[in-house]
Amino acid sequence: MRREVRSLAAFLAAVALVGAFLPNVHLLALNQHLFLALNVLALNFCLGLGGQASMASGAFCGLGAYGSVILHTMWPQGTLVIVPGVAACAFFAAAWISKPLEKLGEGFLAMATLCLCLIFVNLVLAFAPVTGGSNGMMVSVSPALPLLGELKGDRANFAALLFLLGLGGYIFAAMRDSRLGRALLACKDDSLAASSCGIDRLGVRAVSFGIGGAFSALAGMVLANSTGFISPGQFDLGLSLKTLLFLVIGGPGRLVRPLLAVVLLEALISWFHSLGEATMLVHGLILATALLAGYWRETGGFAWLPRLVAPAAKRV
Amino acid sequence: MLVLYLAQAVNSGLALGAVYGLMALGFCLIYNSSRLINFAQGELLLLGGLVLFSLSQTLQLGPVSALLATGVFGFLLGHLLYSTTLGVMLLAQPLRQLMLTVAASLIWQGAAVLIWGKNPLKLEQFVTMPALRMGPVFLGPNTVTSLVLAVASVAVLSAFLGLTRTGRAIRAVSMNALAARLQGVNPVRAQALSFALSGILSALAAMAIGPQTMLRYDMGFGLGLKGFVAATLGGYTSLGKVFCGGLLLGVIEACLTLAFSADLKETLTYSLLVALLVLAPTPQSRQQKV
Repeated sequence: MRREVRSLAAFLAAVALVGAFLPNVHLLALNQHLFLALNVLALNFCLGLGGQASMASGAFCGLGAYGSVILHTMWPQGTLVIVPGVAACAFFAAAWISKPLEKLGEGFLAMATLCLCLIFVNLVLAFAPVTGGSNGMMVSVSPALPLLGELKGDRANFAALLFLLGLGGYIFAAMRDSRLGRALLACKDDSLAASSCGIDRLGVRAVSFGIGGAFSALAGMVLANSTGFISPGQFDLGLSLKTLLFLVIGGPGRLVRPLLAVVLLEALISWFHSLGEATMLVHGLILATALLAGYWRETGGFAWLPRLVAPAAKRV
Repeated sequence: MLVLYLAQAVNSGLALGAVYGLMALGFCLIYNSSRLINFAQGELLLLGGLVLFSLSQTLQLGPVSALLATGVFGFLLGHLLYSTTLGVMLLAQPLRQLMLTVAASLIWQGAAVLIWGKNPLKLEQFVTMPALRMGPVFLGPNTVTSLVLAVASVAVLSAFLGLTRTGRAIRAVSMNALAARLQGVNPVRAQALSFALSGILSALAAMAIGPQTMLRYDMGFGLGLKGFVAATLGGYTSLGKVFCGGLLLGVIEACLTLAFSADLKETLTYSLLVALLVLAPTPQSRQQKV
């Protein structure tokens, strides 16, 4: 655990250092990458520990964002109650949802949770008087904390995202080494054997699903504050798919590698945004290459590389 | 008045349901042979339809030549999808295979945007059928064409899977890949063929839906997902049931559109899927496969 936490601290320190010197325009882009990284970390609780592939990240993220914005509009001074309250709601909602879905296999669970994400988006669109519908909502009140004041501007959101990544990463590492974490890993390896050993499969997986949901909701709250505007399009299935894709590329169950994968690949993808209509094709190619590279690395598919590189290195 | 509305709902529901049924059959073929949920199923439809559109712009296609071209290009596209997804990751974890189909879906969509642009394209009706009236139910020409295309596809596919040696090999792999392998069946070939057959079904679905709703670069994912809902509704067990699942979904959706707004209709459709997944036994536990 210590080694992983040290790696996480080094990663966050490097990101903080880069962020400290970035101008605001680029910091906004980095915040978007960190927002996705926080979602990936949240999903890692479900998939990396519990072995459950969820695509409901968008729904929980949206729940956090809409919940926070609507409640802050009604009670601007209530940050200390609203933020933990909305996160707790997301926790209980996720834990409650996970119980009936637990029996589904990887692919079917992914599809069922993807539907939850679509249901959320359609409900937001249907209840336009409260949520603003497809027009979205302006964020008129920023969260405020005692001593720190209002969390406004890119630097404050950057700090909030770094704090949440640090907190989430620490909880992830600590949980994996705990009794609960070992029970989750047992469920992931062989759920039938875990049940016969007396592990309450539904209960432990509900906890991991709940924690994932709560962190996604927190990510949504920071996103809303960071962009100053929320709309259903920000929380559609694209976000859920991307989150799962990056976690699979980085390796579920690992702490730092998925976060690194998000920041590097997202930066690469953003770099290709100027390609116009070819952007989507390039996105797909980058992600497919990353998936294939990971697979070949795991199965020794790159074994031919040293043979290819060695003669060239000798010549040099 | 209500009867008229319902008749209209049945007409539009069957037209769309036939397309969902074809997509569901494609989903089932791939899932049963390889246990892979194919996220790029909708893109097979999209590319199949767009290739047919380009062909119709350059060549004068009659009904037979259009069907032939659909079959050939659908087969090739399905095979191409297999060779670029499952074919290169046979030993990977299922989740990685699934995510590669997501990436493939992005790549194919991107290719469609680059080649055909973002504007909707109207596919002409290659096979034209007359309208049909049965009491209060009126089926328009598009609906009849979609239904005839879909039912004929189901019949041909059933005959292929039941009567030919290759078809029986696919069924054997879907029941038990290891046992099939011990009997001399090549599971990899059977999987590749399932993708190719799924490509043909999707291209036929494009032929049915293209003249009704036009072809747009982003239409694939939604239709693929509806195909999955229909397959779940049908239960993954037999071709007939899966196809009927598609028809049923189409009619349910059309009736929901009458009663609720479009957003609530989508909400209810996806809620139905979640409920079905939770309440119905998982497909893995079933013995009989397509």
